[in-house]
Amino acid sequence: MEELKNTLKQQIIESLNLEGMKPSDIDDNAPLFGDGLGLDSIDSLELMVLLERNYGIKIEDAREGRKVLESVQSMAEYIQQHRTV
Amino acid sequence: MMQPVYILSASIVSPQQHFEDSGFLQDIKEYAGGVLSVVEPNYRGYINPVAIRRMSKLLKMGISCGMNALQQANIEKPQAIITGTGRGSMVDTEQFLMSMIENEEEVLTPTSFIQSTYNSINGWLALQTKCTGYNQTYVNRGTSFELALFDALMLLNEAEEEMQVLAGCFDEITPDYIKVKSKIGYWKKPAPVNIELYQHSETQGTIAGEGTAFFTLSNKAENAICSLQAVKTMQDAQPVEVMDAINRLLDQHGLALDAIDVLLCGMNGDSRQQPLYDELADIAGEHTTIAAFKHLCGEYDTSSGFATWIATEMFRAQEIPGTLVIKKGSHKEIKNILLVNHYILNSHSILLLQNVQ
Amino acid sequence: MAERIVITATGIISALGRGTEQHTGALINKKAGMRHPLHLRTKHAKEFVCGEVDYSNDQLAALLELPTGDNGYTRTTLLALAAMRELMGNTDTSLFTENSFALVNANTVGGMCSVEDMYPDFISEKEEGPFLKYIDTLDCAESTLNIARYFGLKPFMATISTACSSSANALILGARLIQNGVVQRAICGGCDALSRFTLNGFNSLKNVDKEPCRPFDADRFGLNLGEGAAYLLLEKESDALARGAEILAVFSGYSNTNDAYHPTAPSPDGDGALHTMQLALQKAGLTENDIDYINAHGTATINNDLAEGKAIERLFSSKKTVFSSTKPYTGHTLAAAGAVEAFFSIQAIQQQKAWPNLNFNSLIEEMSFSPVTETKEMPINNVLSNSFGFGGSNVSLIFSRT
Repeated sequence: MEELKNTLKQQIIESLNLEGMKPSDIDDNAPLFGDGLGLDSIDSLELMVLLERNYGIKIEDAREGRKVLESVQSMAEYIQQHRTV
Repeated sequence: MMQPVYILSASIVSPQQHFEDSGFLQDIKEYAGGVLSVVEPNYRGYINPVAIRRMSKLLKMGISCGMNALQQANIEKPQAIITGTGRGSMVDTEQFLMSMIENEEEVLTPTSFIQSTYNSINGWLALQTKCTGYNQTYVNRGTSFELALFDALMLLNEAEEEMQVLAGCFDEITPDYIKVKSKIGYWKKPAPVNIELYQHSETQGTIAGEGTAFFTLSNKAENAICSLQAVKTMQDAQPVEVMDAINRLLDQHGLALDAIDVLLCGMNGDSRQQPLYDELADIAGEHTTIAAFKHLCGEYDTSSGFATWIATEMFRAQEIPGTLVIKKGSHKEIKNILLVNHYILNSHSILLLQNVQ
Repeated sequence: MAERIVITATGIISALGRGTEQHTGALINKKAGMRHPLHLRTKHAKEFVCGEVDYSNDQLAALLELPTGDNGYTRTTLLALAAMRELMGNTDTSLFTENSFALVNANTVGGMCSVEDMYPDFISEKEEGPFLKYIDTLDCAESTLNIARYFGLKPFMATISTACSSSANALILGARLIQNGVVQRAICGGCDALSRFTLNGFNSLKNVDKEPCRPFDADRFGLNLGEGAAYLLLEKESDALARGAEILAVFSGYSNTNDAYHPTAPSPDGDGALHTMQLALQKAGLTENDIDYINAHGTATINNDLAEGKAIERLFSSKKTVFSSTKPYTGHTLAAAGAVEAFFSIQAIQQQKAWPNLNFNSLIEEMSFSPVTETKEMPINNVLSNSFGFGGSNVSLIFSRT
């Protein structure tokens, strides 16, 4: 799980072009949206593409997606349960 | 007839200089490959730091240039934002299109799609300035910027109170664009060095450029650099029709061609459009300086934005940098400037600007 | 006080057909034009319903007496020409050679519908091939130029591209050009053809519904895409009367504002939409009580309908004004939507009918009055039409009976 979270953080940084950030800068449980990392609805769509491309998980409804994307922890748990690759 | 409006500030990002550089075309850059890319300023400070990470070059250029023009004029929030672009963000369009083709229409990311919409820069400028006023984008090839200026002119004439408008333009080149247009004879082969462009005016083709220019305009003359008197656009016009339009426009403003101090021409080294500029040069009298600008910025749909910035700098400095001069005139001051431009795809435009001092 | 601007001719093509009769017939009989696309060659054809025009490119070319095959005319241009041909057919075309006029067109992705298929050829090493005919067709102005050249016109030309509000903006510019004395008349409107670029683009935003769209419904999921073109002839009322032209409606008010909230989402309480509707009313010298029918933007996306719904209720709280979205009929025709829906608004006045909001079952939780779901015969003197686009672009238009 730790390795997955670390990889995931790196993928998030790359996919959202979070310049100058390192995985160690992102807390597992910190909220990704709103006050936390400050991501917005477009970023959430980008992250859903990340889940599909890297883990084969397709989320059709953007609102469902937001719940999964609350934090790195919630994303990692969802990936573990639903990944197809 | 509409009343003149006033340009309060002008800002550019161009292949010669950008808004953080001081001086007016002092350090002319030479380009040998037929492609003139912009020199980029530091965008931070002009754009929301969270948003900037997603933005392509054109968006960063356009937004920062617009914000800078406002800053120069000490305007926090304009009442309207009007822009023109010939091609919009080609990088974003190409990226989404290629991704769609390569991924066979599956699993596509939205950012480049959203940013490929022609009014995305307008949206960002409105967001950053909290400007909820009139907001418009013209995408009409070689007259896109002129239409934005014309709309600003109309809007400022319609206003019952003092009003300030942000008007600008932006266009970029990409390797794909250069390649694609070379197949229909846009570019000179081989490409001349840009500063020698007009020595090759008997062959077809030109050199490619890009840039952005933004201006703040008002219906009040206070603190203005110059006035915008008239804007005229034409499509599929013969040189004789353009000459006719120039003479009528000047006549409406109590001027004749031989009284123009600076005739700023959009000649681009392409023989197909050179006859108009040759005729203008023949008719223009001793009084008039004939100047050209496309050797500095290259050819693109909204190069007249760069030319308009040049005009504002000429009024401000009351000087004409040598690099612009085709033929020096005997006029003492620069009281009026007539910009006559064309674009590859058969459009022409005429702008009349006057000093306010 | 500026003289009134009126509409004296129209031309339209969409999934509902061509011309006034086919469109009003469909509207009255609740016959939507949505189906799986046949002409758009997309991997997703069986997944999504779209408002596709029932003509192939070759059929459109034949109708326009143009050569078929790779003729250099994109579907966007062909749709524009088809709609324009109807308008020009209903008008004394000497008006456009003897007096000054403007052609204000609008679209979102130019000739992308053709370019996207040929792009690999464009960027290959090939110097020859049919793709060369399309090499200058990507930008928005290619259809505008083609309209002028096809009809042999030399107008004041402009092309606007502000996403989904584009042709509504074209109508505003036309009216202002006439009122400022720049031209005597203006042909204004917009065109957009279905393309894989757009379908996949909106799909990447996860706001496209695979089923027919459900505006203002609690279970709405997103929009359906459509294509089409619509153009309206604007002129001063006195000019129309002088030449004995039939006046279809008065273009009595308009406004263009920006949400300044987010690149793609509207302000959630509908502040932007409210503001623009209020300004349009002000411009028309009307109050909310004067509006009989609202043709909403109503794309059926989660965000738009919530914001627009709230704005409508805030503004029209005292008079439960009849409103509906007609996008279930045609799909979201993007840049053409403003003009297509202006046409529907004018027909509402001509027919004295409010058009139904199809596919509606249960209202959005946050709203209290529902859209009209049957064609409603009623006195209609003033219609408000909304078009809201990406980049925060908000436009409202008002049309009135003469």
